Amino acid sequence: MSGAPQSSFASLHDVELCAYAAAGERRAFGELVRRHGSAVRGLLRRMGAQAAEADDTAQDAFLAAFERIAEFRGEGTFAGWVKKIAARQYLRRLQRDRRLTALPEGVDEAADATARDADHRIDLDEGLKSLSDAERLCVSMCYGAGLSHGEAAEALNLPLGTVKSHVKRGLEKLRARLAPDAKAGGVDLEGRRGNG
Amino acid sequence: MAELDFERRLERLFAEAPDLPDAQAFAERIERRLDRGWTARRWLIGAAGVTGGVIGASQLFMSNVFERVQTAEQSARVLGQGLSRVTPSTDMVSALSGGYGLWIAVGLAVVTMGFVVSRVIEEI
Repeated sequence: MSGAPQSSFASLHDVELCAYAAAGERRAFGELVRRHGSAVRGLLRRMGAQAAEADDTAQDAFLAAFERIAEFRGEGTFAGWVKKIAARQYLRRLQRDRRLTALPEGVDEAADATARDADHRIDLDEGLKSLSDAERLCVSMCYGAGLSHGEAAEALNLPLGTVKSHVKRGLEKLRARLAPDAKAGGVDLEGRRGNG
Repeated sequence: MAELDFERRLERLFAEAPDLPDAQAFAERIERRLDRGWTARRWLIGAAGVTGGVIGASQLFMSNVFERVQTAEQSARVLGQGLSRVTPSTDMVSALSGGYGLWIAVGLAVVTMGFVVSRVIEEI
């Protein structure tokens, strides 16, 4: 396993790279970071982390992933697996710094008003900025990191119902910005992950 | 149906990685961190091995092991002679129970060390 030349790693599939990494081949893991580093950093930024904090958390997540690479069975994608690790690490940071308890429960009215007035052709990053911190976290965890509502509730240490309402409100706002032509009113936007 | 489409679209948007200019530098930073951790681990294992070896060697000297080996060798030789009288065909047993056994053990230890050294060189 450890005999693969470094130049050949670029042509290998993620699962093969994981097998090399599990055998202690650090260059193979470096190739995985090269492929998915931006996606993980991007998710953390979308969850609300500042650039430097997102990078630190992503780095910790990748190092943790290398330590636990043998646990990755290839059932989902490697990127999805690392994203879940990164999202949970970011939440732990928030909890450690007591920033998670300060999440506002209500709707951010000012941001909401800005969202209504803004140009419809706005990308996801701009759309997420119109959400409250709690909505942004919940939506990013469920649709970016691939966690179920139940998993997100457990990670956030919030009641399942609270997470579901944050997701619902967040989706409504995002839909108003990203798909303004669709009739959002009256449609249940609790999401497919609503079963927990 | 519309909400399902929107959710799929949202997942696709989330899956799109931003184009970060320092992506290569980020990957190299992690590789360096992994290398550092690996080197530290290797030094730790090496230091533990040397310490264990020194303790083992000192214990061997302190327990007069060589004297005991000589005694054991003599006993084994006597035993081997006894065995050869009972079953003359068991040459291998008598060979192993005599001084040859020690040399075979030494040979095996050298081969094992060879494997360890080659593995360490490969890691470096």
